[in-house]
Amino acid sequence: MRELTLSDITVMAQGYCVIGLERTAEGAFRSVRPLPRRSHAWPAFFPYGRGSIIRFSPAATPASMPHVEDQNTHGLAPSGEQVGEAELVEMLRRAEVSANLDELFRCQLHTDVQGGNAWAEPASATRSIGGFEFRNIRFRVLSDRGEANLRAKLLLPSGEILYSLPVVDREWRQFFSELVRSQSQSGTAPSAEAFLNGSIRTELLRSPNRFARIGLTRGTSNEEKKCWLMLDSLFPQPNPAWLPQ
Amino acid sequence: MSSSADMDESHLLEICRRSVAGRLPSQAHPEDDEDLVRTGALDSMGWVDVLISVESATGLRDFGSDWPENRPKSIRELAEAIRAAHTGRTEQHAAERFATSAENGSEITIRGWGYALGSVTVDAEQIELDLHLAPHKIRDGAGIQSLRFADATEDELILGQKAAETALDTAGVDVEGVDFLLTTSTTFLRLPSFAASLHSRLLVQESCGAFEIGGACAGLIYSLAVAKSLLRTAPQGVALLVASEVHSRRLKHPGVLGEFRGLFGDGACALVLSSAAATNQERSLRLGDFVWGCSGHFASALTLNIDENSSLALQFKGEPLAHAAVVQTDRILEMLESKSGRPRAEVDYLALHQPNPRVVEMLAEKAQVPLEKIPLISRTCGNLGSATCGVSLCQALTDLCARQDPSRAPLIFLAAVAPGLIWGGTFLF
Repeated sequence: MRELTLSDITVMAQGYCVIGLERTAEGAFRSVRPLPRRSHAWPAFFPYGRGSIIRFSPAATPASMPHVEDQNTHGLAPSGEQVGEAELVEMLRRAEVSANLDELFRCQLHTDVQGGNAWAEPASATRSIGGFEFRNIRFRVLSDRGEANLRAKLLLPSGEILYSLPVVDREWRQFFSELVRSQSQSGTAPSAEAFLNGSIRTELLRSPNRFARIGLTRGTSNEEKKCWLMLDSLFPQPNPAWLPQ
Repeated sequence: MSSSADMDESHLLEICRRSVAGRLPSQAHPEDDEDLVRTGALDSMGWVDVLISVESATGLRDFGSDWPENRPKSIRELAEAIRAAHTGRTEQHAAERFATSAENGSEITIRGWGYALGSVTVDAEQIELDLHLAPHKIRDGAGIQSLRFADATEDELILGQKAAETALDTAGVDVEGVDFLLTTSTTFLRLPSFAASLHSRLLVQESCGAFEIGGACAGLIYSLAVAKSLLRTAPQGVALLVASEVHSRRLKHPGVLGEFRGLFGDGACALVLSSAAATNQERSLRLGDFVWGCSGHFASALTLNIDENSSLALQFKGEPLAHAAVVQTDRILEMLESKSGRPRAEVDYLALHQPNPRVVEMLAEKAQVPLEKIPLISRTCGNLGSATCGVSLCQALTDLCARQDPSRAPLIFLAAVAPGLIWGGTFLF
C-alpha cells in the first residue's frame, strides 16, 4: 500500500479529481493523482478532505501526457490521519513549484485572447500540476447558463500573470455558491465579486499559507490539442466565518 | 479599441467574428446565427474567452457577465449585446459629462489619495553618525528630525502598491476600473519598468495603459498633467498615479556624499483622478491648469551619472541648488496665482517639493506664506524625491476632509523643482 496526503480536490463534471502528495525523499514530495477504475473522477460523495492521509494499492496505468501524475488504483482507504493546512502548504512548497510561467509545466504557455485563460500543448508539457506562492489575486464572477462562475487572476513571484483561471477547487466552489446564495437573499449586500476582491482578498494576502496549485485539463473533444489551466487549489482554504453575516 | 463612431452593424459583426475565430480551429467558419455552445463549437471556457476578447476589442467592461440563460450564444447576439451596452454607456457618459461640466466647470478631479512610508525610522543623530557627518549637520543644518527608510522587505513596488491600494480605497474605485496607470520613480532602475511591474502587481486590467513619466522630483506634477490630458479621451475616466522612491538603496554608494544621502528618505504616494467623479462626490477637488518649464542655467547644481562600471558619480552644489529651488518655486507660485486668479494669501495648503526643511523655511519667508500651510513631511521623513509633494498633498487633502468647511471652496497650490532645473506647478480648487 502506498500513502498520500490529499492536497487537491477539484470539481470534475459530477465528481471530483484528486491529487495527493507522496514522499519521495526526506523533505521532498511529488504529486500523484489516484484514479478510480474506468474513470478520471471520483464520485460526488467523496468522504475525504485536503490534508487527509489515504492509502491505496496501485494498478497498471497507461501513460497519458502531460498527466504523468495519473495512477490507477483499486480504491482508496482511510489511514485515519490528517495534517493541518500549514503543514500541507509546507509540503506543497517542497513538491512541484515554480516562480515563473515557463517552469510551471515546463513548457511554453499560450493564450488565444488578451486577458484570457492560458493553455499548454499536451505534447510539450511534462507535468500537469504546479504551484507557487501568489503575490496578488483578483476574482471575477461571470454568468454562464444562468449560473455564477468564478474566475481568478493571479500574480506569480516572477511578476507574470495568469488571467481568467477557472476556479475548480471544491471548497472554494462551495464557498462561492454559499456566498452567491446568501447575497441573493440580501438586497443590501455588495456584489459577490466586490466582496471577494475586498475582505476575502485581504484574508488571502495576509495569510502565511498563501499558495496556489494550477492544474491542466485533459482537453475536450473539439480542442484536443489544448490543455487549459485551472486553479486546482487556493490556500488558505475558505473559512465559513468569512461569509457576510 | 473601437470608437463610438465605428459602431455600425457590419463592424460589430466583424469584431464578434474575429473574437470567435480566435477560439476556433482555423478551418471553422460558423454562421452568424449559430449557437456556438449548443452546437459544440465552443465549450463554456471558450465562450468566456470570447467575451473577454470582445471586452478587449470594445472597451466594454464586464461585457456579457450577465448573459441571459436562454439567449443564443451566437455572433449576431454578441454584436447586438455590444450595440446595446454601447448605447447605454454613451448615454450614461453624456449625462455624466453634462453633470460634471454644469456643476463644476471642469472634468478632472482628485478622487482618492494615499501614501506609504518606509517602515524604519532613523533619527538625525544616527544618520550623522552612520554617514560620518559633523554633529547637527542633518538636524540643525537641514532641519531634519528623522528619515524613513524601507526595510529589507520593502521596495518601490511594495510601497507603491500600498499607496495605490489606499488611494483606490479612498476613491471607492475598484482596481479593475483603472484606465491609465501613470508612474514616476527615479530610483527604480530596472526592466520591466516601474509602470509595467506595478501594473502586474496591482492586477489592473490588461487593457489599462501603463505610462512611465520622468521629471524626478517634479515627476508627480508632470504625471498629473499627462493624466489630465489622457482622461479627456478615456472611456471610463479613471487614472491612477503613483510616485515611489527608495533612495536608501540607490544612494548607498561610495560616490554619493554623506551630506547628500543624509537628506533622503523612502516613500510613495498615489492619487486617483477621474473625469466624472463629481457625479458621485460633491467635495472632489478639481485639477486646474499647469505651468512648467526647464531652467538650464542651474543644470550643473545637481548631476548624477551612472558610468560604464555602474558607479554613481554625484555633483552636488548645495547652496546654489537651494537658492535656485527657492527662487524658482516662488516664481511658480506667482504663475499659479495668475492661472488660478487667486492670490497666495487665499491658499489653504501648499504641497511643495521639499529638498529639506530649511529650504522650505527659506521659501516660506521669501514667498510670504505661513509655514503651517505647508505640510512639512521632509522634517520627519526626509526628501522623498518624486513622492515628496504628493505625500504633502495627501496630508493636506486629509486635513481638508477633517475640516469639512463647506462655506468656501478650498485651494491648494502644488509646485516642484527637479535637477535640470525642471519645474512645474498646478492647483486644486
